[in-house]
Order: sequence, then structure tokens, then C-alpha cells
Amino acid sequence: MSDLKLLLVDDEVEFLEPTAARLARRGIECRAAASGDEALRELGEGAFDCAVVDVKMPGMDGLELLRRITRDHASVPVILLTGHASVELGVKGMELGAFEYLLKPVEFDVLLDTIRRAAALRSA
Amino acid sequence: MPSDPYRAMRRQIMAVLLAFGLVPLLAMGAAGYVANRAAIETRTRNLLEAMVKNRKATIDLFLEDRMRDLELVAASFTAEALTDEARLDGLLAQLRREHGGIIDLGLIDSDGVHRAYVGPYNLRDRNYSDQEWFEHVMVQGRYESDVFLGFRRFPHMVMAVRKRDQGRDWVLRATIDTDMLSALVREGGIESGAEVFILNRAGEYQTATAERHTLMARADLGPLPVHSGVRVVTRRSGGSTEFIATTWLRGGSWVLVTRQEAFGLSQLLNAHPAVLGVFVAGLLLVPLLGRVVAVARLRQFRAMERERANLFETAAQSQKMAAIGRLAASVAHEINNPLAIIDAQVGVLSDTLDDLSGVAEASEWRTRLAKIAAQVDRARKVTHRLLGFSRRVGPDIEPVDVAAALEETVSFVEREALASSIRIVREVERDVPLIRTSLAQVQQVFLNLINNAIDAVGAGGEVRIKVGAARDGVEVAIADNGPGIRPQDLDRIFEPFFSTKAGERLHSGLGLAICKDVMQSLGGRISVASTLGKGTCFTLWFPMEAEVGDVGPQTAARG
Repeated sequence: MSDLKLLLVDDEVEFLEPTAARLARRGIECRAAASGDEALRELGEGAFDCAVVDVKMPGMDGLELLRRITRDHASVPVILLTGHASVELGVKGMELGAFEYLLKPVEFDVLLDTIRRAAALRSA
Repeated sequence: MPSDPYRAMRRQIMAVLLAFGLVPLLAMGAAGYVANRAAIETRTRNLLEAMVKNRKATIDLFLEDRMRDLELVAASFTAEALTDEARLDGLLAQLRREHGGIIDLGLIDSDGVHRAYVGPYNLRDRNYSDQEWFEHVMVQGRYESDVFLGFRRFPHMVMAVRKRDQGRDWVLRATIDTDMLSALVREGGIESGAEVFILNRAGEYQTATAERHTLMARADLGPLPVHSGVRVVTRRSGGSTEFIATTWLRGGSWVLVTRQEAFGLSQLLNAHPAVLGVFVAGLLLVPLLGRVVAVARLRQFRAMERERANLFETAAQSQKMAAIGRLAASVAHEINNPLAIIDAQVGVLSDTLDDLSGVAEASEWRTRLAKIAAQVDRARKVTHRLLGFSRRVGPDIEPVDVAAALEETVSFVEREALASSIRIVREVERDVPLIRTSLAQVQQVFLNLINNAIDAVGAGGEVRIKVGAARDGVEVAIADNGPGIRPQDLDRIFEPFFSTKAGERLHSGLGLAICKDVMQSLGGRISVASTLGKGTCFTLWFPMEAEVGDVGPQTAARG
């Protein structure tokens, strides 16, 4: 019942792997990317309903990735997920076109709900 | 506040004022003194000169008169008549009655034998042939002695005249009353501090002076030069100055001396009593004025110092809060990532357990995983609170109904409170005005304080919240009937990382610091009162209009 295809981007593999597993279990087809470049490659290869992007990453950070996605893959809604929260960061993310801004550790149900809402927005 | 620098400052101000006040005063006094001294010196000298001249005339006249008396007697009677003591006595009585100044009379023959004597001493038949004065009078015809002891062993002076009678020489001798002479010298018109007396060539007193000197004692004036007329000299010795006026009597055998203490401050002040008044008033007034000025200046300094200290304290507090904000943000971030990993891993395990419903231990594992998840959640709340502390930026100022905001906040916690049988009592006044402030921040403060109160009272306790209009704003009091806060902790509870809470819940020690920071940034105030065993009450005051633009330390907490 793979009704939804998600791109999950985070440099912490320890976070990436279990989260992807949990989402997959709930019917979300999940592609994991450990960096911005990897994410862009994935985006080039297939269509996604939603992307969950960590803000703070070595190399290309989440905001830069967000900028690229809104430019080159405007149809993919982006949820920012970060452990480093500040209002400025949140505001900036929203200005750049993020769908939502979530703070780690996020309650799994909240994450799931947000992803579904984002995907619903896309299909609408 | 240190008091020593102020004392030193006051001393300096006083010293400067004293200098500026007293120096002109003293200069004026000195100038006046000098000017007056010259005038008074001249006056004193003139007075002395006049007095000495006048006195000389009196004394010369006295002595000449006595000599003339004697010569008249010698010329008027024969030697034979004068040897008749009864007659001589009559003559003495007459002389004393008419002029005074003569104590006795005696007639001495050419061999020096006292042939006749009338007077208080027993001198008849004394032989004067070997006395110097006798020789002198036999040769010169007349003689006036200095004061000497003589046969009677008592200071006295004599006058003598030679008389030729029938080819024989006689000497008529009289003793002059030295008391009378002394009185003549001293009497009348002597200035205060002046001394008048007669010295002989040897510098010995010939008249007594106001009981200070005895006859024939040697004066301390040293040799005095012979001169004509009156001479006034100034003599200075050991800080004191005196004028000495001299004039010679009896052809240079005696000198009339007047000593006058030189002009002093006392004379100046006697001459001008107002000067003393002005000076004393100045002396009193200048330090008094100095003190008044110094005290006023110091009060100003102190106020400035206090103001500066307050500013400094505020700035220091802001910097401290900014640093804490940055620290909190980075700590929260570092902890949030591992928390997210733990959370994800626990989630996977829980998911897996769902597939293992047949396993006997599955239920226990589920319970244990739930406990891990709960602890993660607890840690998450802490870090999110920390980030909340560092995240408050540019509050949205809007009209806020404080009572409604409070009610909403209470609704978040009331269920939890009721579970511990904690009652939350609201007392909301009617007509509490709307205020313009940040709803989110006001609620953050309410939440912190109400949570604290709930923690403090424990099961069965009561939290009482009052809302009412206050002067220029709205006041909210949140009181608990918990154990209270120790007085020594009361001053510190608003400091970051200060916490008295112990127990199972985790406390950052930032709650009240955040409250204070928020209240300040909204232009409000927070205060606390507590009684051990009775409870604690936090009072908040919100202004009608929050001060926008003061975003405090949180702006530094980015990146």
C-alpha cells in the first residue's frame, strides 16, 4: 500500500534508517539521503510527494537544499526538521517556501500527520 | 557603595573652599594690620615723646625746687642759727609744709661732723669726711646724690649745699623723699603697657616702678647713650617689640626712661573691634559654607554613581542573559539530535514488538520501551523550553485580555493539577482593561509561574490567582500555600540556573529568569513575597502599553 513517496534527508544515518523504516511500515515509500547532493540526485531520478529535510548538514545545508528544490522541483513540498531551532530560522524557512518547520525530536505522529498534509496539498 | 572616596572628595572640596575663602580674608586682615601698625607706631612714638618731655620738665622742676629750698635756707641763716636743732626742726617743718619732698635736714662742719640733725634717723655726730659726696660738695658747692644706702642702710638720695660763714665752710644736707619722686615719675597719663622710671649712669633704678623693680636694682637695658632732648628707639627681642624713650636729667647723671610695649594685634583689635567681628564671622562662615557646598556636590556625585551602577547592572544582566541564550541554544541543539535518534530507534523497536504479539515478554518490553520514550519526551520538553528561552524575538504586540489569557493557560495545566487534587482558584475583577502586549510571552510567564506553584504545593494544595486593574496597568498575583522560599534564596530565585526544586522532575533553573526577562522586555515588573510554612506569592504588573523594541538578549541567540 505504497500510496506516498517521500524523500528523507539527514546527515545522521542513525536517525535516517529507523525513521525511514517506521515510515515505510506506515505505507510511505521512503528514500533516504545523507546529504544535499544525494538528495538532489534522488530528486532527479524520480518524482516525490514530499521531502523532509534536516537544516543543519555538512556541505549543502537544508536551507540551500530547500532553495534548490523550490527552484527545480517546485511541486515537491518540503518539511524542515531540525534540532537547532530559532524563530529566525523558522521564518526564513517559511519564506523560502517550506511547508512546515518541525523541531527534533518530533513526535512521530506529528511527523506522520505533517507528511500526509503536505502530500495532500500536492495532490490537491 | 564605598564611602572612603567620598570622604576624601569632601575633604578636598572643603580644603579648596577654605583656601579660597580664608586666603583673601587673611590677606585683608594682614594688609589692614600692616597699615594700622605703621599708623599706630607713629602715634605711639609721638605720644611717648610728648610724655617723656613733659615728665622731664616736672622732675627737673621738682629737683631744682628742692635745691633752691636748700640754698635759700643756707643763705638765710647763720651757721650758728642752723646748729640750733629746734630752729632747724622748725625750718624742716616749714619746708615740708610748703613744698614737701624733703625728709630731714642736717648741718655738717668742715671736718665732716654732723653738728645738727632733724629727721627720722639718728644721724647726729656722724662723720662724713670720708664720704665721696662730702668731698664733692666742699669742692663744687652743691651736690645731688644718686640713690644709695649710706649710714642708714636704706636706699635714699641726698642734696647738699656748701655755706661759707665767717671763714668757715659748712654743709647743709637734706634727704629727698624718693617715694615722692617715684610717684612724680609714675603719675598720670601712662599708656597701658608703659613703664616709666629713672636710671642713673650705672643703669640702676632711682625710682620704683609699679612694684616691679626695687630701687638700686640694675635695669636690663644695658648702657644708654647720653644725648640731648628726647630719643625714641625700637627694641626687638624674642618676638616682642618695645619702644624706649629716653631723656637725660640733671646734666646727664640721671636718665628718664619710658618703655612701651610695641603695638600688637590686641591694640589693633582694641582700636577696631569690628575687624575682629568680621574676621571671626568669616572664619566661622567659610567652613560652614564649604560644608554645605561639599555635601550638596557629594549628593549629586552619589546620585550619578548610583545611576551609573544601575545602568551597568542592567547592561551586565542583559549580557548575561544573551550569553545564556546562546549557550542554551547550542546545548539544546546538541541534545536534540541524539534525542531524535533514541526516539527513532525506540519507535522501530515498538513497531517490531507489534509483530511479536505471541512472545510472552512482549508486554514487558513494551512497558520498558514506553518508559524510554517517556524519558525522551521529558528531555525534549527541557530542550524545547531552553530553545523557547532563546527564541523570543520581536514579540507581536496586540490587545490582550489578561484574564482570558490566564484562563487559557490554566486550562493547559488544570487537568494535571486536578489529578493531584490541587485546586486552582481564580479571582478576576470586573472591568480589567485590555492591555497592549505580547500574548505569547504573557502566557509563557503565566505557565512558568503556575507550573512552579503546582510543583510547590504538591498534592492537596491550592493555587490562588488574582487578576485586577492596577495603577496604569493590570496586576496578576499567583499565590501558593506551599512550603515557601527561604529568605536567603529569595534574592536569587530570578538568577539563571538557580533552582531550589529537587525531586523527580527536571528543572533547568531558567523558569523564573525567563519570567523576569520577559516582564522586563514587556515593560512590566515581577516581584515575590514568601513566608516559610505559609506559601509564596508572585506578583506581576503589566503596563497598559508594552514597550516595543526592547527585544532583550534573545536576539543574540541565533545560528
